[in-house]
Amino acid sequence: MAKQAFSITANELAALGRENIPDELLSARHLIYSSPATLAFNSPGAEGFGVKRAGLTVPGSVMLVISPGCCGRNTTLLTERREYDGRFFFLLMDETDIVTGRHLKKIPKAVQEVVAACETPPSVVMLCITCVDALLGTDMDRVCRKAQEAAGLPVLPCYMYALTREGRTPPMVAVRKTLYALLEKRKKRGTSMNLLGSFTPYQDDCELYEILRGLGLKNIREISRCETFDEYLQMSEANFNLVLNPESRLAAQDMEKRLSIPWIELARVYQMDKIHRQYELLGTTLGIPIDDSPYLAEANAAIERLHARHGGKRICVGEWLNADAFELSLALLRYGFRIPEIYGTVTAANFVYIRRIAELSPETRIYSNLSPTMLHFGISANATDLTLGKDAAYYHPGVPNVPWNEEVQPFGYRGLVHLLEEIERKLP
Amino acid sequence: MKGLIKYLAPFAPDQSGATGVLYGLGGLLVVCDAGGCTGNICGFDEPRWFLRQNSLAVSDSSTEEISATARGSAYIENTGNSTDASPGIILSAGLRDMDAILGRDEQLIAKLQLAVKQLGSPFAALIGTPVPAVIGTDYAALRRMAEKRCGLPVLGLPCTGTGLYDEGEEIAYLSLFKRFLESRTEKASPSFASAHKASVAQPEIVPGRLGILGATPLNLSTATPSERLRKALGTNDLLCYGASGGLAAIALAPTVEKNLVVAPSGLAAAKYLQKRFGTPYEVACPLLPEDFAEKAASLAGKRVLILHQQVLANEARKVLATLGCTDVTVATFFRLEKELSNAGDLHLTEEGDLADLLANGGFEAVIGDRYLSRCCRTFAGEWLHLPHFAVSGECADI
Repeated sequence: MAKQAFSITANELAALGRENIPDELLSARHLIYSSPATLAFNSPGAEGFGVKRAGLTVPGSVMLVISPGCCGRNTTLLTERREYDGRFFFLLMDETDIVTGRHLKKIPKAVQEVVAACETPPSVVMLCITCVDALLGTDMDRVCRKAQEAAGLPVLPCYMYALTREGRTPPMVAVRKTLYALLEKRKKRGTSMNLLGSFTPYQDDCELYEILRGLGLKNIREISRCETFDEYLQMSEANFNLVLNPESRLAAQDMEKRLSIPWIELARVYQMDKIHRQYELLGTTLGIPIDDSPYLAEANAAIERLHARHGGKRICVGEWLNADAFELSLALLRYGFRIPEIYGTVTAANFVYIRRIAELSPETRIYSNLSPTMLHFGISANATDLTLGKDAAYYHPGVPNVPWNEEVQPFGYRGLVHLLEEIERKLP
Repeated sequence: MKGLIKYLAPFAPDQSGATGVLYGLGGLLVVCDAGGCTGNICGFDEPRWFLRQNSLAVSDSSTEEISATARGSAYIENTGNSTDASPGIILSAGLRDMDAILGRDEQLIAKLQLAVKQLGSPFAALIGTPVPAVIGTDYAALRRMAEKRCGLPVLGLPCTGTGLYDEGEEIAYLSLFKRFLESRTEKASPSFASAHKASVAQPEIVPGRLGILGATPLNLSTATPSERLRKALGTNDLLCYGASGGLAAIALAPTVEKNLVVAPSGLAAAKYLQKRFGTPYEVACPLLPEDFAEKAASLAGKRVLILHQQVLANEARKVLATLGCTDVTVATFFRLEKELSNAGDLHLTEEGDLADLLANGGFEAVIGDRYLSRCCRTFAGEWLHLPHFAVSGECADI
């Protein structure tokens, strides 16, 4: 077998179709290479928002991680950050626990001790459990009820089940639902709404805020901007939820069922016509037309400016960034750039973009970050003018890179404009 | 409550220790997990992986060779390398719930076969985690099946994620020597086979050659343990098992004049090599920081507690004795070997044990990783920082 990284052209992949994705691009069919390029997103808790960090988004919360020592090890890094100091606790399981499940009996007392150790009483104790309890079939709702009775404050489960990452309710979907589980039904206010999707705020100048305020919405709430538990509880009064990340759909459905808050979903896309179409649909749904023309013009101008200076330049796109690698690649192709390589996770869902990429740039090569064959990735410094995403930088050292993975989230036209500004700043 | 940690985070686990021992041998190291344990190893407990990344970050278009080596492709058949930069390839089994529930060992072996075909390797290791521990994986059977199907030597290391790193290191050292010095090895690389044939069949002791056991980043808090030991010992003829020299160093183990055990995790292997080949061993760790004696001078006459892996802690105690500091106790959360202990030395199990010891033990100073002071914040004595990578993740090279 040839010693080279597996890749396929967009044209070949589109011709194969979503039913015939090659095994080398499907992580379930091969061992997984945790290259430095992929660690941030292939290692729950290693960087960015994994279940542990996400679970502590509720103001005043603390977390008890119930697991073998290995699952809590990399939390050492988090415990050294000021915002997490004194918020993580661990109940270590031994070899007998992982077979018999006897650790479950200790949890209520452990929660009591955790609460007693806190300088101020926590708003909620999150119980983070791992693959072991997934296999033991632990009824965490029951465990949480018992712990809640013992401690006298809310106790909620966070499922850090890496085993179910590709299941119907992956850990990052489940934890988003948990975050809003403490909200209780309140009287609705027509001027209040919530943004669901991220654990950090969207960029302050994102046009979405201006547009929503223009519609008369005075209270636009995000969990990451709630400084107190009371502020968090006010999210119950929302007239509707706007879902900006598909991983929040389950949370929105749950809030609709429990709190009667309806929801609308917008996707983060970088193709201008798609952004425009989404705002049109949002206006139609809300019954008030949305005028996005100033933002559209601003984005258009940014594209024209960049195209005039750098049109036709080559950009390799990774997946460790605030975008769908394939949608972003398609957008850049449409703006007049060339895309030699994409490092991404191919799923049936992003085939819609792959087909369009195949039409515009049939020779674009698609790689899987997780394939062990990436060890053989050959470096060619001349293959690209810029890389987008931290993983792409790994494959093209020495080439200008825009990481585009900041915690503050980009969205809409302004997200696109800021990305183009970054690209312009880095391109020689 | 036993097992409850309020102020610290868990220490490096057994699978990290096992991986750390094998990392420098250039094999395929398959962590039998869902992804998180591998991420923990690659993203936190194996600093040589970070150095790989750093070497790329600073490289430019002219450093193709360096970058290719850093990715591991240039290493695959390199078993005679004497530097620290001989990376293994760490892969995750990527287990999913149904794999565990149905015990799909066949599927795991098929994935390994594919990786061997794609990457080539002198050997492979299947490293345990909590998931296979829960379902009772039979590593001996898995190993045999993998060897048969993949056509190369395979180690099966029954780590559980509940043990500490030194347990995993001990398991890895023993498995490594037993598999490669006692079993058939014709399937390993040609360079290994020839070294093995020469040294095991007719061992010839090379005067001055030293074997090193326990030289891992987790024990010594450096990503270049063999380089540091070479400097400290003033010799180049070192076989730093696992950290450098690849599999050839394992094959040459019977030819060393003496083994040096620098951490308790290497002691069982040293005893095995003594029994099997008559190789004597000595326990010492010449890797205290260069300015240690200078910094410790202020502790003369004080009652001191040293917290670290036992061999390095004993080394610190020897230095303190030369400074007139004789009231010294060694305590460790890791392995405490009776034969290496002084009267009064202690094994700690819980963070509360350390808090109690410092509250009631009358100690005026502590030497140990500062991270541990989080669980005894009322301790008013002096704290001399001695990093321990397995505790805090602090490493001299990062």
